[in-house]
Amino acid sequence: MDSPLLPEGVKRCSTTTFLLWTLPWLALLAWGGLSAFLCLWKGLNQTNMSNVFAFALWIVFDLAIIALGAGAFFTGFLTYIVGKGELKNVINAAVIIGFICYSGAMGMLGIDIGQPIRGWFIFWHANIHSMLVEVSFCITCYLMVLGIEFIPLILKNRQLDKIRELHIFGHSLHEIMAVFAATGTFLSFFHQGSLGGMFGVLYARPFAAREGFYIWPWTFFLFILSAIAAGPCFTILCTKLAEKISRKKLVPDNAIQLLAKISAWLLSIYMVLKIADTLGWIYGVVPRAGLKFIDFYREGPYGIWLVVCEILIFGIIPAIILLVPKARQHQGWLITACLLNCTGIVLNRFVFIIVTLAIPVMPFDRFWSYLPTWQEWGIAMAVIGYGFLLFSAAYRYLPVFPQERELNPVTE
Amino acid sequence: MEQKQGDTYRYGMVIDLDKCTGCGTCMIACAAENNVSVRPDQTDKERTITWMKLYKITNGKEFPNTEVSYFPRPCMHCEEDGRGHHQPSCVSVCVATATKLDHNTGIVSQIYTRCIGCRYCQAACPYGARYFNWWDTYFPKGKGLERYLSPEISPRMRGVVEKCTFCHHRLMRAKTQAYAEVRTDLEEHEYTTACAEACPVQAITFGDLNNPEHKVSQMIKSPYAFRLLERLNTKPKVYYISTKDWVRKLADNYLPGEFKPVTRATG
Amino acid sequence: MEINRRHFIALIVGGAAGINATPLPWKSTDDIAIWTQNWPWVPVPPTGEFSHVKSVCTLCPGGCGIEVRKVDDRAVKIEGRTDYPVNPGGICPLGMGGLQLLYNESIRFTGPMKRVGPRGSGKFIAITWDEALSTIADRISDLRKQERPEALAAIDGNPTGSTMASMIERLLKAVGSPNYVRIPSAEDTCRMTNLVMQGTENPMAYDLENADYILSFGSGLLEGWGAPGRVMNAWGLWHEHTAKRTVRVVQIESRASNTASKADQWLAPKPGTEAALALGLAHVIIKDRLYNADFVDAYSFGFNNWASSDGKNHMGYKAMVLNSYSPDQVAEITGLRPKNIVDLARDFAGAKTPIATCGKGKGYLNGSLYEFMAVQSLNALVGNINMPGGVLVGDPPPLSPLPEIQKDAIASEGLKKPRLDHAGGRRYPFSKSLISNLAQTIIKSPKSPVNTLLVFSANPDFTLPDGGVFREALKKIPFIVSFSPYQDETSDMADLILPDHTSPEKTDDGGWPTGLQYPLYGISKPVVKPVYATRHSGDVIMQLAKRLGGSVGSSFPWKKYDDVLKERAKGLFDAQAGLVHYDGSVPAWKRLRERGSVTPDYKTFDDMWKKIKAGGLWYLPVHAYKNWERLFKTPTGKFEFFSTRIELAFNDYALKISEETALKNMGIAEKGDAVFMPHYEPALSDADRSAYPLLMMPYEMINLASGWTPNPPYLNKTIFDNQLRKDESFAEINPKTASKYRLKEGDRVIIKSPTGTVQVRVNLFEGAMPGIVYLPLGFGHTAYDEFSRGKGVNPNDIIHVEKDPLSGHPVWWNTPVQLIKV
Ligand SMILES: Nc1nc2c(c(=O)[nH]1)N[C@H]1C(S)=C(S)[C@@H](COP(=O)(O)OP(=O)(O)OC[C@H]3O[C@@H](n4cnc5c(=O)[nH]c(N)nc54)[C@H](O)[C@@H]3O)O[C@H]1N2
Ligand SMILES: Nc1nc2c(c(=O)[nH]1)N[C@H]1C(S)=C(S)[C@@H](COP(=O)(O)OP(=O)(O)OC[C@H]3O[C@@H](n4cnc5c(=O)[nH]c(N)nc54)[C@H](O)[C@@H]3O)O[C@H]1N2
Ligand code: SF4
Ligand code: SF4
Ligand code: SF4
Ligand code: SF4
Ligand code: SF4
Ligand SMILES: [Mo]
Repeated sequence: MDSPLLPEGVKRCSTTTFLLWTLPWLALLAWGGLSAFLCLWKGLNQTNMSNVFAFALWIVFDLAIIALGAGAFFTGFLTYIVGKGELKNVINAAVIIGFICYSGAMGMLGIDIGQPIRGWFIFWHANIHSMLVEVSFCITCYLMVLGIEFIPLILKNRQLDKIRELHIFGHSLHEIMAVFAATGTFLSFFHQGSLGGMFGVLYARPFAAREGFYIWPWTFFLFILSAIAAGPCFTILCTKLAEKISRKKLVPDNAIQLLAKISAWLLSIYMVLKIADTLGWIYGVVPRAGLKFIDFYREGPYGIWLVVCEILIFGIIPAIILLVPKARQHQGWLITACLLNCTGIVLNRFVFIIVTLAIPVMPFDRFWSYLPTWQEWGIAMAVIGYGFLLFSAAYRYLPVFPQERELNPVTE
Repeated sequence: MEQKQGDTYRYGMVIDLDKCTGCGTCMIACAAENNVSVRPDQTDKERTITWMKLYKITNGKEFPNTEVSYFPRPCMHCEEDGRGHHQPSCVSVCVATATKLDHNTGIVSQIYTRCIGCRYCQAACPYGARYFNWWDTYFPKGKGLERYLSPEISPRMRGVVEKCTFCHHRLMRAKTQAYAEVRTDLEEHEYTTACAEACPVQAITFGDLNNPEHKVSQMIKSPYAFRLLERLNTKPKVYYISTKDWVRKLADNYLPGEFKPVTRATG
Repeated sequence: MEINRRHFIALIVGGAAGINATPLPWKSTDDIAIWTQNWPWVPVPPTGEFSHVKSVCTLCPGGCGIEVRKVDDRAVKIEGRTDYPVNPGGICPLGMGGLQLLYNESIRFTGPMKRVGPRGSGKFIAITWDEALSTIADRISDLRKQERPEALAAIDGNPTGSTMASMIERLLKAVGSPNYVRIPSAEDTCRMTNLVMQGTENPMAYDLENADYILSFGSGLLEGWGAPGRVMNAWGLWHEHTAKRTVRVVQIESRASNTASKADQWLAPKPGTEAALALGLAHVIIKDRLYNADFVDAYSFGFNNWASSDGKNHMGYKAMVLNSYSPDQVAEITGLRPKNIVDLARDFAGAKTPIATCGKGKGYLNGSLYEFMAVQSLNALVGNINMPGGVLVGDPPPLSPLPEIQKDAIASEGLKKPRLDHAGGRRYPFSKSLISNLAQTIIKSPKSPVNTLLVFSANPDFTLPDGGVFREALKKIPFIVSFSPYQDETSDMADLILPDHTSPEKTDDGGWPTGLQYPLYGISKPVVKPVYATRHSGDVIMQLAKRLGGSVGSSFPWKKYDDVLKERAKGLFDAQAGLVHYDGSVPAWKRLRERGSVTPDYKTFDDMWKKIKAGGLWYLPVHAYKNWERLFKTPTGKFEFFSTRIELAFNDYALKISEETALKNMGIAEKGDAVFMPHYEPALSDADRSAYPLLMMPYEMINLASGWTPNPPYLNKTIFDNQLRKDESFAEINPKTASKYRLKEGDRVIIKSPTGTVQVRVNLFEGAMPGIVYLPLGFGHTAYDEFSRGKGVNPNDIIHVEKDPLSGHPVWWNTPVQLIKV
């Protein structure tokens, strides 16, 4: 039915199958739509956020998907700036994933703030001291860049491509993509860093506070590193998932292996610095605040296991797997390592947001616990639904994987 | 350029915890003065709004040696963020410049109509002094409770953060009066906060920490005077006084052996 | 022209660019942001002319000076007055939240009403004042026609000595009913104590500000005891010099209340054994010869053994105390250590101006007569009665008495009938009224002897510590009239509502602030015009009397309530002393100590009255110290350690029946001479203690209105979430006791007494005495609105009442309970 829209020379499932496939994701979107409506109409009392948990599930989700979306800018950086040609085969997928992550995050933020209609005050009344202002500026600009990076791909749709002006426009955009990739890289580096900075500058919260360099606390640099270490792994996971679902090989192994190898090194460097940072924190920030390291891991469910998981299980182990060529060439180990790496970054973001807020600073204050409401889950799940929908549609109607035709010749 | 701290006035507060009875009048005076909203369920302490909040502490000893005391906690009107920047933690993080430290008075303001409700300031404040409006302000038609609202303070809309302002409108009131009398300086008694004024045991003293004549600037010299979480270097302008070691010890975190009891003092 | 794809795209792109080049998107973005700053549903308090009205708070008998800030006609804030001697500057939480009672339509009656729904449903319809007044007038006339005026009864919660109280009592007397019943309080017990030991019925007045040692037998100095504004101000004075304090406060209480915690010393005897502790202290003081021999020898009676005129030898206080209350014996009774008792006694007697106070918690609830006597005997031992910094026995403000009541034959006959509560009778010779007896009489009678009940400023359905007995009685009373401005539990049971103004809407005197050491007359003024179609109950009584006509009408010769106030105030002028202005630089307590004289700051009566109405104040900060010869109006003319009044009353009763039966009926377990002296009586209980091994004690908080008025919603902000969470209140239980029942923090538990059950959650509190379950008083309303209704439980519902020996008031501190984990 929609066959005129499909890319030439590739096989796609029937329209009906495709529509059926979209149903669960549409359901997630509907759940999210209802949640969003309630939150906007009745206010944030629909959530279980509180004056203690001023940031909660949504911010964890935001930071996690933005970190995972880092595959986009970093792959762009490697492709266009460093000139790793083999990555051209994944760059489209990386850009789409990035676009999904960033636009999803922006959407969530729009609901997360108490006065969405005043959101633009961030720009109009910007406070240059605020890391969150830096984040907002960079994310907004970078989302535009991602949009621009996405447009040439959209214009390659079979029907759109037939329009001469659009064809020329798309092609010209493509030609200057390095400029945008460079801009995007710069913006992304900055906001990944600022996101870390946001927490590292909570100087009055010893759990999050970090020493630093100039105006940036170490978390600024650690967030960049962890994002570019995990982003490629997430791109790998997404393409692997796409391959699994479409039952086709979409990306040549050399691209995947290159990503994995780069990720391995970045993750290793990150782990070294993360451990150094943790030690610096334990022996610097913590005792200066009159506390012992263990004091932070006494309350509620947040025990020392958090540190073990973050550093050992979700850090050192995947780094080793990815570093060893034999291991990363093994499909199962590769996916395991990518999963561990991505989980690690989510855990890291969770710890910086939720655990920071859960641990009271005043000795006589109490520990609070937090569980999200269905409305909060609804919005978060909607981003997943939106991601699947957008990626599926892009895959169906756009030539996302340049090598798909060669790797899967259609036999009529 | 940052102005030097407290060039002119540096308003601050001293709360005598030995006097404080835990009666909560300060909390209510604050709410009544500042049009703070009340909801039917006020037991949700994570979301209910109390610019001034009482924390109940105990010495942890067994019956009958148990002792209870209270920390009344307004906004500390911090001077720094803990790393030497002349901005409180909440101010330096605010995205929309909706909260500011006035370097002439030391008062940390909050502009409700500017705030976008991102709550970053809440994450930054270690004292839990900031409150988000999770609901619309609660004044149902059938009750007519809105009749006691004071026009000096605008009721807040849902979705913004609010906090203690050291009853800033009272400073405005005093200044207007002084202006009408062609004066520039304020007397000590001309500007005080609603909580200090209401406290039935006079446990709260308010004044200009820069002015050696003001009671507060003398009181903070007591060896029993301290601030909450002093070692975080947020430089609060709210001081406490207690002769009880266990109370003073709970005001900050100490590694074993770090806490120094006041030995002999002449408070 | 054919529209092709190209045109279409050009249109879209061009359109988008064009719109963005116009101000439209930018302007509307700004406009909707402005809209969020002016949401129509966020109230904008109208501004207007600011004014400040000085008045007096009458929400409790504390009588604080207040200044109300107004904007045009609206009251927007209540503040304490610095030009008022009771509470210079501060006020209590309740007073601070007062405007939420004035301006809350969902808890107030907007005008006279009659019941339409079933009783207790709170369904009423509006009627006119004329209809309301004629309904009640007709009923009373009918009762008088049937020659049973005594079937009219009134319950009055107005402060003792207030003009309202005298008007209500006057109405009952003029109609011909002896059944004027007051809400009991610790003040009643104090008055009885003074009567039997000192011969006057004046309240206890403590010169707290000038004392240097306060030994409080459970008085909630920080929980709202006495005149809360004044007591807390005194607390501030005691703590004026952080490191060099000279005043010591010692709290005797079973639970680490705020007072106990913040006191310099806290001792926790078993509840109900305070009398034994007081006598144990007396033992040490006497044994160590630390007592004031000058006072005891010259101005007391019954200290040493003595012989009566009939030659009978009597044991004196000294012998009794030395025999029966040694530190070891008292330690056994109270659970304290002997050393505590000895040290405490020496500290108390060693102080310059020590005061022992009585009245538990807020003093809303009555105390135990023998216990209060024991405490007062300590003040006598150290000779600190009518001394600066001691217990002063002074006279109340010298208000003029009202003219004689006119009584016709019906009234005279009616007044001869016995009171339904037996107060003042042979069994309860010293009690003025006993509301729990009234309830029992009604319940026991096949038909309620009360036909029509008037309720003024009281909410006995909720506040009485009687296990719900009064509530049962209310159901049997055919017709109930409530004068309450609030839709409280008792009003919900009423058939007719004649709503009073609330405190800020009316002129009224609040009586002599509880415990104040010098006479003070405070009077409130209408700060705002009445918000609803309510009427001052004082005026309503006069309108009612007019309708009843005859001698009732002529007993009320005034036009309006104001005239009554003015008439009574004449006495203030006639006293030729007193002040109507307060100068904060000379606090009243300092004047008292310095024994300065007072020159009235007014000239004529009219001048005085004008100033009193403007400033709300008349006071006389002088005291005739010592003066013991004139002070003690006992039969012996001395302070009586051995009360000859009790002896007389008892002998009078025992003559009719046997001594044993008399003792039994009066509820006294002790025998012999000790019966007439302060002594310890173990609280009796008919309950099977093996089935109910624990005790339940209610406790009060200053930040929760527990009787007197509805709780302003602001106060809920100050309640901790381990006292109330959502709709469940918590019991404070010692972790040791809780662990026996395997109870953890937050667990739900049923507290079962022989009277009933309540379900609460557990708050583990080290400051709770093991073996006792503490429940906060003031929760568990079934009336009012969403801010109060259904929140928590009312411990009064499960109180298992016994009678206090001699006074007959309820013993509410001895409820045996068991815990059942849910
Ligand atoms: N904020 C506020 N202040 C108020 C009021 C108000 O409503 N709100 N009301 C005002 C009024 S009307 C009054 S009368 C005053 C009165 O005030 P109080 O005399 O001060 O009060 P109680 O409530 O009787 O005492 C209760 C506590 O004392 C102990 N207790 C009491 N009696 C006994 C006893 O015989 N034996 C033992 N072992 N323990 C006992 C228990 O520990 C219990 O917790 O407060 C006034 N102040
Ligand atoms: N639970 C509990 N019970 C108690 C006590 C306690 O502390 N807690 N204390 C005991 C003691 S000491 C006392 S004094 C009594 C008090 O007991 P009550 O006098 O019976 O009780 P309240 O509920 O305080 O009565 C106040 C009621 O008076 C009405 N009222 C309030 N303001 C006004 C007014 O301005 N005019 C008129 N006409 N009516 C008004 C309202 O109906 C209000 O609910 O309670 C006794 N019982
Ligand atoms: S009003 Fe005064 S005594 Fe009461 S809680 Fe506040 S500071 Fe303490
Ligand atoms: S106490 Fe908190 S809200 Fe107040 S100035 Fe300090 S950081 Fe800001
Ligand atoms: S919530 Fe409001 S005050 Fe706080 S940081 Fe955000 S914009 Fe600023
Ligand atoms: S200073 Fe004013 S705003 Fe701050 S807590 Fe006190 S009363 Fe409230
Ligand atoms: S203590 Fe009593 S009189 Fe004083 S403000 Fe409180 S309620 Fe009013
Ligand atoms: Mo009372």
